[in-house]
Amino acid sequence: MNVGKAFNWPGWIAFALVLLIWEFGSRNNPALQPYLPPVSRIFSSLGELILSGRIVSHLMITLSRFLQSYLFAASIAVILGTVLGYFRLAHNLFEAVIEFLRPMPSVAIIPVAVLLLGISDAMIIAVTVYASLWPVLINTIDGVRHLERTLIDTGRTFGLNRRKILWLVVLPAAAPYIITGLRISLSIALILVTTAEMIAGSKGLGFFILDEERSMNSGNMYAGVILVSALGYLLNRLFVLGEGWAMNWRRGMLAREAL
Amino acid sequence: MRESKLNGLLFFLGLLIVWELLAQGGLINPLIVPPLSRIFRVFSDLVWSGQIPLQVAASMKRAAAGYVMAALVFIPLGILMGLSQTVYRLFEVIVEMLRPVPPPVMIPVAMLFFGLEDEMKIFVIFFSCAWPILLNTLDGARHVDRVLLNTARTFGLSQWRIIWNVILPAASPQIVTGLKVSLPITLILVVISEMVGSTDGIGYFILDSQRRFRVAQMYAGMLTLAILGYTLNQLFNLLYKLVMPWHVGLMRMKDGA
Repeated sequence: MNVGKAFNWPGWIAFALVLLIWEFGSRNNPALQPYLPPVSRIFSSLGELILSGRIVSHLMITLSRFLQSYLFAASIAVILGTVLGYFRLAHNLFEAVIEFLRPMPSVAIIPVAVLLLGISDAMIIAVTVYASLWPVLINTIDGVRHLERTLIDTGRTFGLNRRKILWLVVLPAAAPYIITGLRISLSIALILVTTAEMIAGSKGLGFFILDEERSMNSGNMYAGVILVSALGYLLNRLFVLGEGWAMNWRRGMLAREAL
Repeated sequence: MRESKLNGLLFFLGLLIVWELLAQGGLINPLIVPPLSRIFRVFSDLVWSGQIPLQVAASMKRAAAGYVMAALVFIPLGILMGLSQTVYRLFEVIVEMLRPVPPPVMIPVAMLFFGLEDEMKIFVIFFSCAWPILLNTLDGARHVDRVLLNTARTFGLSQWRIIWNVILPAASPQIVTGLKVSLPITLILVVISEMVGSTDGIGYFILDSQRRFRVAQMYAGMLTLAILGYTLNQLFNLLYKLVMPWHVGLMRMKDGA
């Protein structure tokens, strides 16, 4: 909720109403329960799974896979994107390759990864790195290419060397683009980790959810869905917070420009 | 400009030739990466035998159904939510609660209800296209120029005609954006849902080829997907230019200004 915005009563009442209809519709309809157990039972399943630690281990595995892939993909993509954006020759050479690979849905490489790496952590991480590379890469290239030449020339005039121009001029100027890419990749990485776990995993939340569905434990399955969604939501929130903190200088700059 | 494109294509071609030579020379394991020529041969065999067209048709049927249904439900809902603060507030919390659910996670949920049927994939696609379409439409409808609205009211247009003749055209840039963003999402979700639970379709085809170690066939399936993704995007752009020629000009004018 935004500060200064009134509490959305109608919205929360509508939401509560949906949950109530779900709860009582399911309770009065035993035939429905294998598919749609009462909300209260889903939450009690979630509580039990957390207390027994059964779901926590899956959560930790998913989280660690996510973090490894995301951080790895982000660092590669920013470096590669800066090179491709800064050196025209590199961009010309790789443009066609990128244009060809980009439209292919990244999940299609899961089978290739399984072939190469078997059903392993490395496979899941490789797939996730590949998929979450794209948004950061494309945005970094864009950001560096759309840099005002004057900025670089000014830097040169002041006698900055290449490395300093890169750190003090190019990267800060491209930062808003890079951050947009990083944010898009955040959700993509989580999606890919859970997908790979579903298709070829033996652990992790994606695997857990599919496995519980196959054993018809719908309460546990929904509990898993809630946990993954909460994880996605929290990661996103954390990112926005970090962004606000990291980009504080820019807000000040824009405000000064507006004056 | 032209020359740089050519360089890129030549470089790409060079990479492909290196691949072919490495695979022919046995420097990379042909069981994992077969020569390119073999992949193309298998691809063309599969296309002419009707195998790939059949799988693509199965996938596209599901993709189209889910995509169109999402558009039919969420464009009107987005317009309503953009126009009426009451409707917006009523749905806001529900939308915010559902939006963080990663779409592939809905596959097991949909399997519970629909098994491995087409409806399972259609529902998953419907769900994952919902947010880009809804939120973009909502944004477009909410930011319609007040002057336009007031002018229409002054001329005594009915509410229905205002929506049809003023709001829909004015919000169309964002609606188009929402529909365009949803296109690759649709393709991704149809592939994932076919990999997790299906007996046909291009996603199933790729995974199944891998499991039977028909590696060239698996790459042929991936090639199909790349072509499909590219074609869908081009088709969308073409359709957009045909259906909304005035809009293309408008955007160009805005870019120029």
